[in-house]
Amino acid sequence: MPSRRRTLLKVIILGDSGVGKTSLMNQYVNKKFSNQYKATIGADFLTKEVQFEDRLFTLQIWDTAGQERFQSLGVAFYRGADCCVLVYDVNSMKSFDNLNNWREEFLIQASPSDPENFPFVVLGNKIDVDGGNSRVVSEKKARAWCASKGNIPYFETSAKEGINVEEAFQVIAKDALKSGEEEEIYLPDTIDVGSSSQPRSSGCEC
Amino acid sequence: MHETDLHDLSDDADYAASIEQASASVMLTRSESGNRSLSSETEGAELIYSKDNVAIHPTQFASERISGRLKLAKQGHSVFMTWIPYKGQSSNARLSEKDRNLYTLRAVPFSDVRSIRRHTPTLGWQYIIIVMSSGLAFPPLYFYNGGVKEFFTTLKQHVLIVRSLEDANVFLVNDFQNPLQRTLSSLEMPGAVSIGSAPSTPASGSHLTAFTDGGKTSEVLSQSISRNRQKAHDPGRDLSIHVLEKFSLVTKFARDTTTQLFRENSNGFSALETKSYGISRPRPDAPYQEEPEKKVPEEIHVPSDPLEFDKLALVWGKPRQSPLGSMEWATFLDSEGRITDSKDLRKRIFYGGVEHAIRKEVWAFLLGYHDYDSTYAEREYLKSSKRTEYMTIKQQWQSISPEQAKRFTKFRERKGLIDKDVVRTDRSLPFYDGDSNPNVKTLRDILLTYSFYNFDLGYCQGMSDLLSPILYVTEDESESFWCFVELMERLGPNFNRDQSGMHAQLFALSKLVELLDPPLHNYFQQNDCLNYFFCFRWILIQFKREFEYEQTMSLWEVLWTHHLSEHLHLYLCVAILKRYRGKIMGEHMDFDTLLKFINELSGHIELDPFLRDAEALCIYAGENGAASIPPGTPPSLPIENENSLLYSLEDEVL
Repeated sequence: MPSRRRTLLKVIILGDSGVGKTSLMNQYVNKKFSNQYKATIGADFLTKEVQFEDRLFTLQIWDTAGQERFQSLGVAFYRGADCCVLVYDVNSMKSFDNLNNWREEFLIQASPSDPENFPFVVLGNKIDVDGGNSRVVSEKKARAWCASKGNIPYFETSAKEGINVEEAFQVIAKDALKSGEEEEIYLPDTIDVGSSSQPRSSGCEC
Repeated sequence: MHETDLHDLSDDADYAASIEQASASVMLTRSESGNRSLSSETEGAELIYSKDNVAIHPTQFASERISGRLKLAKQGHSVFMTWIPYKGQSSNARLSEKDRNLYTLRAVPFSDVRSIRRHTPTLGWQYIIIVMSSGLAFPPLYFYNGGVKEFFTTLKQHVLIVRSLEDANVFLVNDFQNPLQRTLSSLEMPGAVSIGSAPSTPASGSHLTAFTDGGKTSEVLSQSISRNRQKAHDPGRDLSIHVLEKFSLVTKFARDTTTQLFRENSNGFSALETKSYGISRPRPDAPYQEEPEKKVPEEIHVPSDPLEFDKLALVWGKPRQSPLGSMEWATFLDSEGRITDSKDLRKRIFYGGVEHAIRKEVWAFLLGYHDYDSTYAEREYLKSSKRTEYMTIKQQWQSISPEQAKRFTKFRERKGLIDKDVVRTDRSLPFYDGDSNPNVKTLRDILLTYSFYNFDLGYCQGMSDLLSPILYVTEDESESFWCFVELMERLGPNFNRDQSGMHAQLFALSKLVELLDPPLHNYFQQNDCLNYFFCFRWILIQFKREFEYEQTMSLWEVLWTHHLSEHLHLYLCVAILKRYRGKIMGEHMDFDTLLKFINELSGHIELDPFLRDAEALCIYAGENGAASIPPGTPPSLPIENENSLLYSLEDEVL
């Protein structure tokens, strides 16, 4: 039986409120964009099957509330993440400035086994707005920050127009897979725990 | 006045008042079995059994009980059961005479009883539940001095009762040859429908207290019933729906215990159950969908529900009523506009909500913006002075110039957050849809003003969801603001920076599940689900995203009555979780799967059946339930306020 580690890849999307986390997730999974998305309360996720070479994986993409106040809930949702996507709005300097906070908060709460090499991907979203005229964060500035944090892959996206979303998630999935496999080698115990898809409650039914 | 020695209470002061009620009840019941009059029936009846200290618990408090005497009497071949509360011995002054009358059983013939269930727990009091062939069940009769066994021993000597093959605690009375046919036919009979409005159900009983002035209970009762009938558009239909609801629950109840008898017809029943239970199942394309009729094999995989949930709702959950309309609303107001009996009003709203047309008026009371004992004139004055006050606070942020805003990061951030949220709040509703909708701007202005009114709390996501229906209902900026202020007085701590309010909520929820469904609690414990984060959205925005807009408004006004409990929303959480316990445990859902499952229930749960379950759970949990909820858990007022109230009371005493 294939282990849970090898088939399920967990991805967390973080970033300020309103940068487009829900939209990016829906654009990637459902190829849809809506103006009617509501502010995320709590957390939700979508799954998508992805194929690498001849293996199938389930990408589980988590969308969480963007307001700082809800960060303390993260500990329940970040656990076991294989990749973290940091999103900002190219039209909002504050959302870019906060990327560092989101990254650090994630590392504290998810406490991955190898924080130095944990895979992040940064997305600068909403490049479509106003034909790019309202943009305040330059691509150069964003790439510089990504380089300073250990060469984080960077994409400029539009969830609305579907620009670069597929490409970005290809990399996200690949990095998640790599991270998952490394973790298998690094922490063999987790394979055993993860693979026990057998009902464990059988002991308590008597 | 009816003369009957059987009741042996001719000296009872409330007897005269309640006899009308009783005879109505009995005669309606009797219409199934014939047209014999009550007096001829009971004259010269032989008393065959009498038991003192048999009690009913009308509320969630174990201390509130009505004690009385249970009797069996025989006349000819007929055996009747009677339970009359003792005069003036209610354990609590809050229980009115009418409460007591409501539960009185007078000469119920065993020919109308389908089954009796006995509960003889090792801990706690023994009780029996009488289920009528019409589908109604009476509240449990608790034998405080024991004696359930003797009751059955005596009964067996006079009435043919058979122990159910399925459940040794259920005794079938009469008609066990073909209960299905009989039950279905009785449903169509006017008599069966009338029982739905008989005093043993709260549908009419809860109206009684609206007419306390005259003191003529018998008249009041008949008025109440006829009033009930006039009020509803189609009272016969509504009542039969109530009976039908009861029926479906009784059917489940009976099926559990008399499988053999029902086996042949079980297909017909499951269709009825599914429909009347009112759970819309998840969309066919939802990932957790099963075949609609395929039931989770609970007996095999899932620890059974120790509460016998269906029976609980059957016994405790009262039928929902039609919403309070403007005509009836007017009867709660005196000539100057005061609400004379706010408790009664809240109870009425608890069981049916209010019609939309009067929401604007009623919500202001429920939320605490207007005092119940304020007059029309006082309210008008308050409105106008509050409008001025609102404008003053609004001015505070309106006067911030763009230059000043540059040096006011906190203001810019708040405004940005609010601007982002109002444009994604209920935009599919006509009231908020379209570009540059003025209502969206009003929503923003109120939230921004609130973040200045309560600068410490500020703005937090979820607040726009809570404000939206209030603005929709009041259609007035200042009124909405002040109603929202009142709501946040109670729910504010849920939005605390340290999340203390929400942690208290989720903790209380876990305690309630532990109390009301230990196997489910154990399951959550073993599967790392005890943080209950999957219920976060339910609680933070009070189920706003789970129900249709209209249903949400209905739910909120019920919650705001604080009738039975301030924390009914937590019992509602438990009710929903319990309803899906078989699926959750049967499919071995882990935390992720459970969260997804809960999120996808949104828009697929119907309010009324769950409200009824929540009510039943709340009553059942009683003081133990209340003790599971930490003091100060929203929407309780903050503990500090309670203390200061306490001090001021002490001062008065001193």
